[in-house]
Amino acid sequence: MDFTIIRSNLAYLLWGTWPDGPIGGAALTLILSVGSALVSGVLGLGLGVALAMSSQRLRIVLTAVLGFFRAIPVLMLIFWTYFLLPLAFGIDVPGVLSVMFSLSLIGGAYLSHSVYAGIRGIAKGQWEAGLSVGLTRGAVLRHVVLPQALRMMLPSFINQWVSLIKDTSLAYIVGVGELSFLAAQVNSRTMVYPAEVFLFVGMIYFTICCGLDLLARQTLRRHEGRAR
Amino acid sequence: MNPQSIFGDLLQTQYQIWLLKGFLVTLEVTVLVIPAASFLGFLTAIARNSRWRALAWGTASLVSLLRNSPLLVQLFFWYFGASAVLPDGVRDWLNDTHVAVLFGVPIEWPSYEFVCGVFGLVLYSAAYVSEEIRAGMRGVPKSQRYAAQALGLRPVQVFRYVILPQAFRISLPTLMGQYMNIVKNSSLTMAIGVMEISYASRQVESVTFKTFQAFGMATLFYIMIIAVIEVLAQFLQRHFPVAGARR
Amino acid sequence: MKLRSLALLGLLLVSGLAHADRLDDIKKAGVLRVAAFDGNPPFGYIDEQSKKIVGLDVDYAEAFAKKLGVKLELVPTNPANRIPLLTSNKVDLVFANFTITEERAKVVDFSIPYIASGQQFLARKGFLKSPDQIGGLKVGADKGTTMESTLREKYPSAKVISYDDTPFALAALRNGNVQAITQDGTKLVALLANLPDKSKYEVSPFAISEELEGVGIPKGETRLVSYINDWLREAEKDGTAQKIYDKYFGPKSKSPLPRLFKIGESHIREK
Repeated sequence: MDFTIIRSNLAYLLWGTWPDGPIGGAALTLILSVGSALVSGVLGLGLGVALAMSSQRLRIVLTAVLGFFRAIPVLMLIFWTYFLLPLAFGIDVPGVLSVMFSLSLIGGAYLSHSVYAGIRGIAKGQWEAGLSVGLTRGAVLRHVVLPQALRMMLPSFINQWVSLIKDTSLAYIVGVGELSFLAAQVNSRTMVYPAEVFLFVGMIYFTICCGLDLLARQTLRRHEGRAR
Repeated sequence: MNPQSIFGDLLQTQYQIWLLKGFLVTLEVTVLVIPAASFLGFLTAIARNSRWRALAWGTASLVSLLRNSPLLVQLFFWYFGASAVLPDGVRDWLNDTHVAVLFGVPIEWPSYEFVCGVFGLVLYSAAYVSEEIRAGMRGVPKSQRYAAQALGLRPVQVFRYVILPQAFRISLPTLMGQYMNIVKNSSLTMAIGVMEISYASRQVESVTFKTFQAFGMATLFYIMIIAVIEVLAQFLQRHFPVAGARR
Repeated sequence: MKLRSLALLGLLLVSGLAHADRLDDIKKAGVLRVAAFDGNPPFGYIDEQSKKIVGLDVDYAEAFAKKLGVKLELVPTNPANRIPLLTSNKVDLVFANFTITEERAKVVDFSIPYIASGQQFLARKGFLKSPDQIGGLKVGADKGTTMESTLREKYPSAKVISYDDTPFALAALRNGNVQAITQDGTKLVALLANLPDKSKYEVSPFAISEELEGVGIPKGETRLVSYINDWLREAEKDGTAQKIYDKYFGPKSKSPLPRLFKIGESHIREK
């Protein structure tokens, strides 16, 4: 194995041509991840609460819509948003945004179910206690149920975000210059070191994902410590 | 812009056949990967609970590596990277066409792309499956194990008759979720030339320029497979309820 | 469903009317958005030092942007994304070794060709001698190229594996996953020149089709088409075209190749 190819392209793989050109590489992967993690978190929370609080009929409709996003591959959704939204509605969605959009929708659809399950997992007694001291349903949700439910849901949020980071690699298909795309470019130019290039890129993703995982576990441990 | 090219006529039969063929390849991949990943995931889950530190630690780090890097990068690595390292003989054999005759029916050895795609997908999915199975095993209350031991069952028997059936029931819903992920993840094998449904839709799109129909059909096919697994999951969960769970 | 498609159609028509003339739009915006290859030397590839997209197609795009007096903005593309990029209005033009075909001309417009070549093959030295062999081979191609469909039509028994981009196909050839890859002769010659072990491979002595490559333009932009055609003819007359060609295929370049096609002609000249 010959890793000089990595050394000579290190800066390019890490942040693209920035600051002379657009930011790319691992830095863009991080931007894509953080952006879609935030949006998917908000979407998941909102939709999860909607699922828990809505009427039976609305819940069925919502579940069906969310089911669609859970059923199609990320790759397909990226194609749809990138090529078909502009064709159908005349809206031009730039590559970075369409990838973020797809990842957020899919992540949000998954998270909403965890949030829903988390809210339902809180014992009925808690609701009744909250309502009996005169709180509104919203207030019980906000001050009693959600704080407990969110702690329970943290692991599934982390899992979803880890897969989100990995899924940013699919941006390569629409030419967004994130890490995998630049790796394919470097591989194209040099052509003889595919194993080295993809091994290195895999390790960068691994570091990012594991970093998030470790961070989350520490936060969780600290929380649990306080709760005891 | 020509609206006809977006919504207009349906795809010609020829292209529908391409899509159908792609759909069949997606099914093949799914049908091969699910049992293989389940079996490997099961072995991995056991290895991680092993008393041999080295084995438990080794499998744990492998699982972590597989789970924390993108499938796309892994597929590229297996297809472009690893095959450059394979001995020439093995590689040539894999690349050649081989036909085996089984009960008078000629069965063609699949293309190297297909083998590579299935291999990469099995490894990736097995890592996830093993986590689900482990979670299931952890979900079985400790008291069950003690009770079984008190009854005089050997460790293997405890595992086989007490832990495993319950772990299976507990992990069933999430396991089904992983199987759905396998279907969806199979779309990534198009990047290494496996002619599955996403590949076919891209191909039809690039020949007919009917983006809407091509992607639409592929999306429908995916939803169909997922729906079938969903129905199966509901059925299995009804037949194998978690003990003590209220119905 | 029907109602929704109707609504979409309405939207489409409106947006179609709004974009009456792209040439004016480009000038007004001051930016020309061009799709170019980023992994296909020498047409479009990432320069080792500057890490920017450069190449023959890029030189043409730059010359055209200069002529318009606007800034050039490059969007990297692979072969299969070229038409969707144009039809979804993500770019104004495609300069990416874009072969003119009747089928494609139904959805996008083309300029007159500015470069031409034949569809050839790259294989291990001495392996490929005649076109008759192709039917029994496993051949690597690029998704969404004319090569792929020509091969399928002329040699239905050949096993065609398509990749997202030429370098992937080349990697597959080097790994022995396919026995040959097919591309424009010009592209293959340049690819071969970049290979570290180029003595092991060769470009097939025969071609199975003639490829004329032009600029991809959104459908219906007649003013833009004739403007580009005039500019291309002018580029041939004032020597710009020859200069760009020589930079990549001239006698002093890495992959010398005689220029058998000049802008304004309709066929490649016999050698």
